[in-house]
Amino acid sequence: MTSASFQIDVPDTVLARARRGESGALEQIYRAFERPSYTLALRMLGNADSARETVQDAMLHLLERIGQFRGDAPFWGWLRQIVVNQALMRLRRERGVSFEELPDDDDAPSSAPAPWAVAEARHLEHALERLPALTRSVLWLFHVEEYTHQEIATMTGKSVSFSKSQVLRGGIRLRALLERDTLDQSLPRNTMLDTQQEAATCLTAATQ
Amino acid sequence: MPDRGDTVNANPEHALAQALRALPDAAPQPDLWPELAQALASRRKPRAWHYAIPLALAAGLACALLLPRGTLQLAQPETTPHETIAASAPDPAASHEATSANADELDNLHQRSQTLERWIAAVAARAPQDSRDLMAAVEMEDLIGLVDVQLGAVHDHNDALSLWRQRVALLEDLATIRGSAFAIASNDNEAARAAATSLDSIN
Repeated sequence: MTSASFQIDVPDTVLARARRGESGALEQIYRAFERPSYTLALRMLGNADSARETVQDAMLHLLERIGQFRGDAPFWGWLRQIVVNQALMRLRRERGVSFEELPDDDDAPSSAPAPWAVAEARHLEHALERLPALTRSVLWLFHVEEYTHQEIATMTGKSVSFSKSQVLRGGIRLRALLERDTLDQSLPRNTMLDTQQEAATCLTAATQ
Repeated sequence: MPDRGDTVNANPEHALAQALRALPDAAPQPDLWPELAQALASRRKPRAWHYAIPLALAAGLACALLLPRGTLQLAQPETTPHETIAASAPDPAASHEATSANADELDNLHQRSQTLERWIAAVAARAPQDSRDLMAAVEMEDLIGLVDVQLGAVHDHNDALSLWRQRVALLEDLATIRGSAFAIASNDNEAARAAATSLDSIN
């Protein structure tokens, strides 16, 4: 998923048909944006069911109001904004008025090489899922969707410095999670070998 | 995007952006379209839902009187009938005057928009929303988002002015919705008394 995948131009003819309520055109628009919308919601919310409901709500909003779209701005930008708003609303609703935030002790910088440069996608996804929801959302909106800190601050109702600190600290936390994963991957294998050896020793002793 | 460079350049881990973008995308399972098509078809019929926003706005109207009047009434556009007439007159001097008036109005709208946004952000962080208000607020935010997208693409000054007027009007509606929840959350009894008094005075 890249921010570019959202940047799909919808032909004017399709938009015109959608404004008239033609089901085929509405489906065409839905199909074009199904994956980028769902991926964005999933990354922000970290939950498949919530992401699914968010996309449904966002698409309903969009397709019902498509007649209000003047056509002189990117259609995808409007849709993406709706998906982000819906996802943020869901986060607020599900997690109360205030978002869960990262503690201050995550600010320790690291000079080690960035683990995401070599990490497998599933490990990065797993680490991303373990970030607090707002941190993950800010990180994704900034790095992938390329929103500015000012835009993120406005959308989340926080300050610009909050957005900057979440991006920085989110990166540091992600690094720590990936490094811990790398350690965990090596540890269980050794532990398993030790356990097998112990079991073999016990079996040998028992049979003697 | 003036503030992107600050974090990206300051953070040597900017390769993170590339790694995140390279993650595989996903699709909802099972397919959402049949459900969506059905919902769209049913929503084309008259729905009680359409009354949620007017109801929320009506409920918030009285409480909106509790909002800091000074905050919400800053920078009122000073368009007079004379200026409106001047704007359509072909006389160059009058045209210049009209352009200047439009520029002033645009400045006022920018200021008012910022003031409202700050106020809404401050209130939203402090007041819980009930689900009906929340739906109405999100509806407003979506419409503001649409205006913003259109503002990003507009080049004509008059179009921009019209869109900024829409934006401020929507922000005022949003402030009313947010304000009602804030007033109720901060002081139920006082808000109820004030609302009753306000409604009496309106009637």
